[in-house]
Amino acid sequence: MTEPAVELDGIWKRFPGVVANAGANLTVRPGTVHAVLGENGAGKTTLMNCLAGVYLPDEGTVKLHGREMRFSSPADALAAGVGMVHQEFRLVPTFTVAENVVLGSAPRVISRPEINRSVAELAERFGFSAEPERPVWQLSMGERQRVEILKALWRDAQVLILDEPTAVLTPQEAEDLGRVLRQMVGEGRSVLFISHKLNEVTAFCDEATVLRGGATVASSVAIADVDSAALAELMVGSSTKSTETDAQRNTEMGDVVLAVDNVSVTDSRGLTAVDGVSFEVRAGEILGIAGVAGNGQRQLTDAIAGLETCRTGSVALMGDDLTSATPRDRFRAGLAYVPEDRLGVGLAPKLPIAENAVMRHYPKMRRGPILLWDRAKEFSAELVSRFEVKVGRVEDRLASLSGGNLQRLLLGRELSSEPSVVVASQPTRGLDVHGVAAIQRLLVEQRDQGTGVLMVSEDLDELLVLADRILVMSEGRVAGKFDPAVASRAEIGAAMAGVS
Amino acid sequence: MKRLVLARRENPTRGGQPLAFLVGLVFALVIGALLLWSSGDPVIDTYQRMWERSFGSRDVISATLNRAVPLALAGLAVSIAAKMGLWNIGAEGQILFGATAAAGMARIGDSWPGPVLITAMLIAAAIGGALWALGPALARSEIGVSEIITTLMLNEVALRVIRYLQSGPWKDPDGFGNLQVTPLPDQAALGNIWERAHLGVLIALAVIAFFAWFMTRSVWGYELRIAGSSAKAATYIGISMRTKVLGVLLLSGAVAGFAGGIELTGTASRLNENISNGFGFAGIIVAALALMRPSGVLVVAVAFGGLQVGGQSIQLLGVSSAVSAILQALILFGAIGAGVLSAYQIRLVDRKVA
Repeated sequence: MTEPAVELDGIWKRFPGVVANAGANLTVRPGTVHAVLGENGAGKTTLMNCLAGVYLPDEGTVKLHGREMRFSSPADALAAGVGMVHQEFRLVPTFTVAENVVLGSAPRVISRPEINRSVAELAERFGFSAEPERPVWQLSMGERQRVEILKALWRDAQVLILDEPTAVLTPQEAEDLGRVLRQMVGEGRSVLFISHKLNEVTAFCDEATVLRGGATVASSVAIADVDSAALAELMVGSSTKSTETDAQRNTEMGDVVLAVDNVSVTDSRGLTAVDGVSFEVRAGEILGIAGVAGNGQRQLTDAIAGLETCRTGSVALMGDDLTSATPRDRFRAGLAYVPEDRLGVGLAPKLPIAENAVMRHYPKMRRGPILLWDRAKEFSAELVSRFEVKVGRVEDRLASLSGGNLQRLLLGRELSSEPSVVVASQPTRGLDVHGVAAIQRLLVEQRDQGTGVLMVSEDLDELLVLADRILVMSEGRVAGKFDPAVASRAEIGAAMAGVS
Repeated sequence: MKRLVLARRENPTRGGQPLAFLVGLVFALVIGALLLWSSGDPVIDTYQRMWERSFGSRDVISATLNRAVPLALAGLAVSIAAKMGLWNIGAEGQILFGATAAAGMARIGDSWPGPVLITAMLIAAAIGGALWALGPALARSEIGVSEIITTLMLNEVALRVIRYLQSGPWKDPDGFGNLQVTPLPDQAALGNIWERAHLGVLIALAVIAFFAWFMTRSVWGYELRIAGSSAKAATYIGISMRTKVLGVLLLSGAVAGFAGGIELTGTASRLNENISNGFGFAGIIVAALALMRPSGVLVVAVAFGGLQVGGQSIQLLGVSSAVSAILQALILFGAIGAGVLSAYQIRLVDRKVA
């Protein structure tokens, strides 16, 4: 038997108050795509960071091709042939593709045609179509990811780590990525694929290692031998219940609570992002907006919430025209908004939990110029317990919360003023199984209480389960309206792809 | 083989900042000693004298406190703007123009009773400082021009305004041809409260205490924290970034201008171009060392006040007073360096086999 490409043995990594890895093991055979599975907070990224030289493990050994290594920096790891593509790309936007690829390991004398040619050759070898002379800022997320992969290949990485690579990709781009990965392992390289999406894992990977609570619960399971349900069970530790049972479809719909009429929005580059979109949301329904990311969904929800100006059209809530109202007035009028970017838009990352919890409600907690912090803290404590946000103290930094808890805090804050309309943009993206279920349950509860819910999601399965009606957006327009009870995935998929 | 590596600590050291300040101080004293020694000056005598003339007796302590007043207020001004990620590099000019406005008020009310006149002068100083920040504030809030450059450039302009007033409109008729403005009326001086320390020490203390409380407790301060943490989050809940930027820069200018007013009524007999004496720039150092916290500003300002007062005294030993300025810069250098380094730890690791 050949020596494993990667062997992690008994890795421990502790952070203040958290054990991220508790004796995790991982063995990767050369020439395979190996999935690292686990819920959010299972220690996947930390373990990979230990392999990529970002962290030094507290205990345990890292072996590459049978040799024990001790990386004190990512550069060390890269020199030894381990490259990592992080979730946030590390590229220079104003540089070209080729310049980004060779940055840091360029020949002493750079000849532009020379590097352009060799980068193009490298790309071709792995089945990419790369344009070496294009500046990175012009590229889509999927294209940027390929530049990151090229960077690792340029440095001849034998082990490539991809941290949740498909989170930013369209389904088409994800398929392309799968092809590229096959090409790479065909040459004897190994790929580590971090994910919590089971369908991708079964589609792309040869073997899987499952982490739970920082430790390995199943190592190097051959994908061909297990089904998704078994993997899911390993991940969460108990048999998972489908969300299907929670969603009793509502047949009685109320009055129109949100009316969007012929709304157009121009984006920051001066291009039309939303082009004459009209729809209505009724009390007691979930209207789902499906579509591939970047087809105007963000600008549409921002325009409804008042963060973007409508170039044309109007937005009305409960019959009142709010097209020119401030975000604060819209919230007061009963419009709750869970934006796509939780940290940075919906929440202020550097402030304590309590200061985030009252961000919408503090105008009611003031006496003159003074904020009544006792009431704010009381309110925060109630919010945190009512929406089951796991926190130490409400004075703690927001950064101490996990993704699922952040979203619970954000959604809870938006719901606690009993809104008549909830606009939720990608509310479950990036959450683990429990987190997704909790957020979906809250939205369904709202619907059942007679709130109008507008839910934007890239996960069509989620919308098919939860939504009462589905509207597909493509290139800023409404490309189709569907009844999830009768519509087929193929029909909706065609509308998403812009096929009429 | 072993080698030393610098690895980032996962949790920052607690209480690191006071320690970093001390490390910076020691670093500065050591390098300063080398400088003194290399220029043939007596090292121990110089340092001893600096200490004696800054914290060595009640009399010099009171002088140190007086010097700490403009440093602390300028530091406060800088730290208020920094709460929103803005850099007010123009405290120097705002101090000068604040003092100019106060001097103008003294010309109007030269027959008013002391307390009334001084109050009016201080209000005028704050308004003057805010006015001096108005241009950069509007340029920043309306069209996004970097406040760093505009506030810096206006420092020079404020200086010219004073020179102009000295040479013409406010020229002292009894100045025997010297370019100086008419002296302030006698009742426009802040009284002393302890040794040489003037009432401005208490006023500065009260102002800083007020802002420490106001920034954490008020709705305005809370909104400022949100805007400083994330402009997008502020916009999302309906805070206008334009008015916040405008407001915070005007307030910062007002506090700096107020410092100019205090300095004028507390220590000067007439408006002059040395009223600020670099306080605006030193205020940036003070605010940076205090990590932009009002309470820290107070402590650092007293230390720097002592350093400046002590630094002036060593000229009598034939040592250049520039030593004091060099020491201030070295402390900043050392403390910021130590602050950064405290986020790391040095470890001995095996040299990689590969």
